[in-house]
Amino acid sequence: MLGLRDLQAAFAAHLEGEDRPSLADAVMGDTISAAARLRIHRHHVAESLATALAATYSTVQAIVGEDFFRGMAKAFAATDLPRQPVLAEYGGAFPAFVARYGPAASLPYLADMARLDWALNLAFHAPWRDRLSVSDLADLPSEGLLASRVSLAAGSTLVRSAYPIDRIWEASRPGAAAGRVSLDEGPASVIVLRRSGDAAFARLCPAETAFVEALADGKTLEEGAHAAFAVEPAFDLSTTFARLLALQAFAALQHES
Amino acid sequence: MNTTRVAIASALAAALVLPAATSQAQGNMEKCYGIAKAGKNDCQTAKSSCAGTSKKDAQADAWVSVPKGACEKIVNGKLTPS
Repeated sequence: MLGLRDLQAAFAAHLEGEDRPSLADAVMGDTISAAARLRIHRHHVAESLATALAATYSTVQAIVGEDFFRGMAKAFAATDLPRQPVLAEYGGAFPAFVARYGPAASLPYLADMARLDWALNLAFHAPWRDRLSVSDLADLPSEGLLASRVSLAAGSTLVRSAYPIDRIWEASRPGAAAGRVSLDEGPASVIVLRRSGDAAFARLCPAETAFVEALADGKTLEEGAHAAFAVEPAFDLSTTFARLLALQAFAALQHES
Repeated sequence: MNTTRVAIASALAAALVLPAATSQAQGNMEKCYGIAKAGKNDCQTAKSSCAGTSKKDAQADAWVSVPKGACEKIVNGKLTPS
């Protein structure tokens, strides 16, 4: 008879696909044998995890179809079981798995779509916190504004890709128009945001991306502006900053001390 | 303060007085793509049941090795990013 520790280890190994005779001996069977009961449980775990991944990675599933997705999701789940009980937090390592998943190699953009899905999932479940508003900045003198550091709001992520991920996302929605998306449309980066009732993303041009990246890195508004001008000398700082404020992309302000 | 710093400070300050007008004027740029999920809880027990669970596990599944979905709309890709 297995001790509790060995029983649990054998059970965990079983869920990952390894059959141990000692485990079957520890499980009762009747008209359904112990080995069959264990397989039913393993199958049920794999199906449940694949369903949870499909909910989080809905764009990936739309792109590859349900059958392919379930095969990929179960292959992932067999190597990466949940470490905590919240299924919405399960699957953070899935994008990296997709990137090296051989059968999906013909879709080089797929891992980036998974990263976008994951960022939207994180944003959706992020707590709603107060955002930076125009009035927080309005009374600052010029020097104070230049030296301000603004951080991205909770749940916000920048997702950069060599592919037009925003267009692919759009084309993958249920009921999307039949038009095609060409990968030759080139790189895209988006900022993913928690909104009051949902999660969303907006596309950023390369200079805007440099601006947001610098700010997210803890740089001042002045340093962020320089980073953007280095990418695009004609960068429209006013329009971009106003746009980001309107999108409520930033969290609390911290003044230079 | 040199002229570049003055220009940056002015541009930032201008953003503070223009946001509403700017976002209205640039409807296209403001295009935002949102998701709204049904509530997800810890265990999804309402959705997962043993119905349909066979006695055999996933090893017996004949799973499809060819993606077949919206990827058919996405064309002209080079296999490696340039």
